[in-house]
Amino acid sequence: MSRKIFFHGLWAGILSAIASIIYDRIYFFATEINYSKLVNIGSLAGINLLACLLAAFGFSLFQKWFGNKGEIIFNLSFVILSFASIVLPFSISLPLDIQNPELFPGLAVPMHFFPALAWLTIRPVFREM
Amino acid sequence: MKRSIYPAVAIALIFASAFTFIRSQDWKISDNYTVKFTSEDPSGEFKGLKGTINFDDKDLANSKFDVSIDVATINTGNGMKNTHAKSEKWLDATKYPTIKFTSSSISSTGSGYEATGTLDFHGVQKEITIPFNFKDNVFSTSFDINRLDYNVNTAEPAHGAAVLKVDITVPVTKS
Repeated sequence: MSRKIFFHGLWAGILSAIASIIYDRIYFFATEINYSKLVNIGSLAGINLLACLLAAFGFSLFQKWFGNKGEIIFNLSFVILSFASIVLPFSISLPLDIQNPELFPGLAVPMHFFPALAWLTIRPVFREM
Repeated sequence: MKRSIYPAVAIALIFASAFTFIRSQDWKISDNYTVKFTSEDPSGEFKGLKGTINFDDKDLANSKFDVSIDVATINTGNGMKNTHAKSEKWLDATKYPTIKFTSSSISSTGSGYEATGTLDFHGVQKEITIPFNFKDNVFSTSFDINRLDYNVNTAEPAHGAAVLKVDITVPVTKS
């Protein structure tokens, strides 16, 4: 993995984490349901950084395997994977002390797209570098 | 002589009638109760426990449970499962909004007590015996229930567990 791709992943992770934290706060103020036992600033920062650094790792692999077409295949795969992953918030069983589990997908599903969105948003910046 | 017998009978009746007011202790259900069910799939809990608990370990003959839970309060931890559980296919919370237990007799066992009574669940009334303990103002019980006995989704007997373990803990205060 090149330095450029690593920083692409890192910055995408930071942006995605910021977006997730902001959305988490908005969702809390809108619904007044507290999911902080499951989702908090630490876990959101960690999971978004992890997702985007894994994406960076995947991106460098796809470039190696598919050459010029690597980016197209990677972007497509990243978005499909993000979309497929929304099944998780719907299927997961939350601890019983957390009320209103039916509203949890409303919090988690949009967040599943934030890493891909952040990655694609800053891609032009890193392509120019 | 005959005249004096009437006041004596009256006094005896008044004295005896006092015993008709002696009844078992009433208990008020505290908020921190738990009504949990576990199986391979699903597991969860109910809220909305209410009713009357009339229990005196020295007067089991006059003790009685008449309690119910609100079916719509089921929480499996998963929103979709909650919706399915409340639907017509499973518990049908609209048609059968409560699960009710009314005891008909309570007896002492070696390790605790047993309440025999009618469980009204999903439109089926069935007599069951529930073992329970009462220590430090907390009622606790654990027993199995087969949903197929109460016609809960009999069309799919293998869809999820048929037998569920029910664990109930009810702290109470004297009322």
